[in-house]
Amino acid sequence: MRSRKLQVVTWAFSWLVPRSEREAILGDLAEEYSLRVKAVSSGAASEWYLRQIFTSAASLLWARVCQAVWPATLGVALLGYIAVGVAEFVVNLAISHSSVSGSNGYSPAGMVVTFPIVVLIGYWAERFRRKAAIALGAMLLLVVTVMTASSSESLPLWYRIAYFVAGPAAALIGGNLPTGRRLSD
Amino acid sequence: MRKRPDPLGSLEHIVLLAVMRLASNAYGMTVRREIESATGREISIGAVYPTLGRLEAKGLVKSYTGEPTAERGGRAKRYFRMTADGEYALRNTHEIIGKMSAGLKGLQTT
Repeated sequence: MRSRKLQVVTWAFSWLVPRSEREAILGDLAEEYSLRVKAVSSGAASEWYLRQIFTSAASLLWARVCQAVWPATLGVALLGYIAVGVAEFVVNLAISHSSVSGSNGYSPAGMVVTFPIVVLIGYWAERFRRKAAIALGAMLLLVVTVMTASSSESLPLWYRIAYFVAGPAAALIGGNLPTGRRLSD
Repeated sequence: MRKRPDPLGSLEHIVLLAVMRLASNAYGMTVRREIESATGREISIGAVYPTLGRLEAKGLVKSYTGEPTAERGGRAKRYFRMTADGEYALRNTHEIIGKMSAGLKGLQTT
């Protein structure tokens, strides 16, 4: 008989297991747990059981993400978007410490430096997941549209247009670079 | 003529070999234990089942449900057996590995 703690963990874990495999996986775990209780000890069996639950949860989650094409593509694009945000922050920070930044808070130099970085991020996103660069470009376009619409700053028109186009274009250019064999399709 | 199958992934290869070795007693936990005893590394049941699922989707194994037992909390086992396509895929993968490792010093197996 498993402890209350193991029963609760098993119940939570069962929600991660696909319905078609639930009975077999939980049955296998229960079977080996009872074998280990007899062969070793209840404590060692519980420790093994919890380790199996946690490592299995990670494996099953990853398998689900890999099977579901769009969530995986969006996940890679989201990671790419975070990388773009970090790169933009670092570049702007470096530029603000120099005297290259423009007036009114806009930074053409930052845009020029960030552009190839976004190309590179788009390239890697596409290598990991097909169409991830397109999803990244769409995310950047969406954010830029919202930011441009809600901004009250008086920025030059050319800068607004360049800001609007640069990020999505860079992601799409990166996605269209020859990638050789993709890491995952 | 039969289409040459894609080479198996490393975990697919190992899981398929375990299913072959276990013959009529191949189900999740025995497959897991077989791999663990052969490789010396702990592998989770959550890694074994998605791999078995992929192999089944490729037609390399077939599964069927066994009888529920008390030590499993009344849950049934899901047995797996290798198909003819699975055997062909294994042979093909071994052939590729054999060709790629032929003549390489230090890789000869006894």
